[in-house]
Amino acid sequence: MSTIELRNVSRWYGNVVAVNDITMTIGPGVTGLLGPNGAGKSTMMHMIAGFLAPSRGELTVGGTPSWHNPDIYRALGLVPERDSVYAFLTGAEFVTASARLHKLPDPGAAARRAIEMVEMTGAQDRRISTYSKGMRQRIRVAGSLVHDPEVLLLDEPFNGMDPRQRLHMMDLLHGLGERGRTILFSSHILEEVERVSGTIQVMVAGRLAASGDFRAIRRLMTSRPHVFLVRTSDDRRIGATLIGRPAVTGVEVTDHGLTVRASDYGTFSREIAALTRDQGIRLRELLPEDESLESVFAYLIDADGPKAR
Amino acid sequence: MTADNGAAALGTAPAAGTGVIHDLGYRHYEGARLGRAGIIRALYWHSLRSAFGIGRGAKAKIVPSLMFALMCLPAIVNAIAVAQHPGQSPIVDYDTYLFRLRPLAMLIFVAAQAPELVSRDLRSHVLPLYMSRPMRRLDYPLAKLLAFTAACLLVLEIPLILLYVGNIVSAAGGSAIWAQTRALIPGMGVAVLWAVLLAAIGLVLASLTGRRAYATGIIAIYLFLTWSLSSILVSIAEHGPVGPTGVPIGSAVAPLGARLGGLISPFNVLDGVRQWLGGTNPGPIPPPGSVGILYGVMFLALLAICLAGLAARYRKVGAA
Amino acid sequence: MLVTVTAPPELRAGRGPGDAGTAAAVIRTDALTKRYAGNVTALAGLTIDIQPGITGLVGANGAGKSTLIKILLGLLPPTSGRAVVLGHDVAASGERIRTLTGYMPEHDCLPPDVTGTEFVTHLGRMSGLPATAAKERAADSLRHVGMYEERYRQTGTYSTGMKQRVKLAQALVGDPRLLLLDEPTIGLDPAGRRSMLDLISKIGAEFGISIVVSSHLLGEIEQICDQLVVIDGGKLLRSDTMTSFTKVSQVLLIEVDEGIDALVAELAARGLQPRRSGRGLLVRIDGEQTYDMVRDAVADLGLPLNRLEQQRRRVEELFRDNGDEEEHGDR
Repeated sequence: MSTIELRNVSRWYGNVVAVNDITMTIGPGVTGLLGPNGAGKSTMMHMIAGFLAPSRGELTVGGTPSWHNPDIYRALGLVPERDSVYAFLTGAEFVTASARLHKLPDPGAAARRAIEMVEMTGAQDRRISTYSKGMRQRIRVAGSLVHDPEVLLLDEPFNGMDPRQRLHMMDLLHGLGERGRTILFSSHILEEVERVSGTIQVMVAGRLAASGDFRAIRRLMTSRPHVFLVRTSDDRRIGATLIGRPAVTGVEVTDHGLTVRASDYGTFSREIAALTRDQGIRLRELLPEDESLESVFAYLIDADGPKAR
Repeated sequence: MTADNGAAALGTAPAAGTGVIHDLGYRHYEGARLGRAGIIRALYWHSLRSAFGIGRGAKAKIVPSLMFALMCLPAIVNAIAVAQHPGQSPIVDYDTYLFRLRPLAMLIFVAAQAPELVSRDLRSHVLPLYMSRPMRRLDYPLAKLLAFTAACLLVLEIPLILLYVGNIVSAAGGSAIWAQTRALIPGMGVAVLWAVLLAAIGLVLASLTGRRAYATGIIAIYLFLTWSLSSILVSIAEHGPVGPTGVPIGSAVAPLGARLGGLISPFNVLDGVRQWLGGTNPGPIPPPGSVGILYGVMFLALLAICLAGLAARYRKVGAA
Repeated sequence: MLVTVTAPPELRAGRGPGDAGTAAAVIRTDALTKRYAGNVTALAGLTIDIQPGITGLVGANGAGKSTLIKILLGLLPPTSGRAVVLGHDVAASGERIRTLTGYMPEHDCLPPDVTGTEFVTHLGRMSGLPATAAKERAADSLRHVGMYEERYRQTGTYSTGMKQRVKLAQALVGDPRLLLLDEPTIGLDPAGRRSMLDLISKIGAEFGISIVVSSHLLGEIEQICDQLVVIDGGKLLRSDTMTSFTKVSQVLLIEVDEGIDALVAELAARGLQPRRSGRGLLVRIDGEQTYDMVRDAVADLGLPLNRLEQQRRRVEELFRDNGDEEEHGDR
């Protein structure tokens, strides 16, 4: 079990503070690292990978710092964003080379296993220059998995993959996470992050804005009323009732039903069923409108202040 | 849309107490569309301006302006000299025009500017945007070639015209003016050949790479090396002392080696064609004599190779 | 100078969203095949029919997608089969098609030392617009894509979001009837993607332009597209309207924040057969009373209800090798 620990980590370049006093723990399972462009995610990943030293603070992977520590690469696997693969090698050659670099006892077998994990067995003997973007991505993941690392760092892992490849990669990562590996990946595609990871870490302008399960994070945003879409057999009547409830701050009648703003999420969610029942109104649909990762993310970014265009 | 839009369109002010929201929505285009010819023409003008750094900022204009100024300098010096000493024969001829200066200036101009027209677009991968428009794949290199040929023409011909004007201003009488005019015409014709060949060479070499520095290097090295080598070959092949005009003293016809030596350099090929077509002023290579026709053939061959190369390059690249 | 305000799209004959009155397909291919040297088959007998509106093109990866786009633009001849775009055959009328279409490539294509305005204006002229019209339409296009004072800066200084917008603006400047957008949200952060998707929806809905969006991201396809074409291995896998792809099933999804076991027991006791699924429960809808039974069970137990929804198919199920069809319990 390898845990990534950061304590008061900062990293600056002259006047630019890329990472600003971040304390976080990343444990087994899949964690998504999110943030707008320029938030410091790549710097963070580079530090964890041992390519950069923190300017201040402590950063350890499995208890030991990753900076100036080549041994860490036994336990760490990396898939950076840049497409830096030797195109003249075949897939198999590339992964085997990676296995040899890790001084594995049986590089060929390790390579074969890794290639199978990413379902590239069919294409492994073709030159990487003939691969599509998604295939290149997969072979790079194989290269990073070949030594069975405890910790896997991926930067935009789904880039260029078609839907089938994406789903497969998501399953792969999810599976690895379930089996106790620590996986940290950064991505802009929130709908996928939502699917694969249990935990998220959100960075905004170098600081850690939020950590944890995004739904739990949403519940913590008590200053923002939760927005629900409610569809019933008699919207106006239930709307009138709802507006009379203290948990509700707003009801709007739209073509698709009622948009209800609930300042007290807990109370509202407990009373909606009973309220409709007591009025003899059929409750057909209740949808949380702003609980998706995308909404939560937007709120977190916004909370930091208005963005300059 | 409300009826108020009509009022807004006619530019009348809304009546007091009322307001109008003008339709700023998407407007379709119902006007004229230029066909391929118009598009090629637009790309031609755009490229011609790039060749002189117009629309790109001050730095881009430095090299073309300097080379243009350099080319004009002999004409200006000549004009002053002729004005001060009337009757003196001009320093500069129309058809050879300082055969040691012109190649150098044109080399720099072509090497510096051809990449501006062609390598930039390759580097920024903008070609698919052109190709997805109503033009044919080869329209792009065609427009570029026409534009760069025109640019080279300007740099070559305007100095000749300046030279002409400088001479006739100080000329004594109509027959002198006529003599100048008769000398100008073939000179301008030779310049046309120069423009056509050098533009083609410059563009095809520049189209090999998206990196402007490399392209400039390739062009400059090719033109300079061939020029040097050719000059060396010519002088080696000539036996005996060589006079100031390049023709060996004491012999009417230069050895064959010397007469062929010019074939490897585009600049010397151009001079060979000039002499083959009847130019008598001394130039960088000895008069080709019987092998003059080879220079004509070489000119056409070089041109054909460059055009074919451009076509092949853009057929491939345009499919991006 | 008199400014002519043209009639809005819906009023103009022959234009406008949903102008499928003549059922004129925007793109139609017939057994379109393309083989390259070295036995690479990019397209293998692709037959698709794309109607006006916003269509998602999914699954086509690498060779297939770029080959299809080139063929549709009349830039590449097919090995066999036909393709007709906006009523014109690609083999005969490539130029005409390119007059009517706008293309937004996936890759970076902006020269860094040119301003946004200059770039779009120049490409407007390359689309055949006369000089003044090109300037005006460039200005308008940049406004429509949300580029204001940034347009006077060089594109080398732009963020990814701005670059994507400029790419879109150059596709719009020639007033196309069809837009081909290749991965328009690539490289954008979530806010940027949201903006771009909204922009595309707006163009499709208000500007009277048909759009084909090629993307790998099924979520965004589901959000903005009316129709979907799924290509797999160079062939058509499925093509349909979005509503039929994401058809509702006769299964009700219930999510509560706590007490799920009690709810399972309660619903089972009432005769429904609840199944656990992820964070929630599924029950089959056997008539309207199912809704009431669920409502009552939740109310009786006083549980916090988070979601009640008739389950929909998701496009991604097409790509799962063992489709979770059972989850839906379709009749």
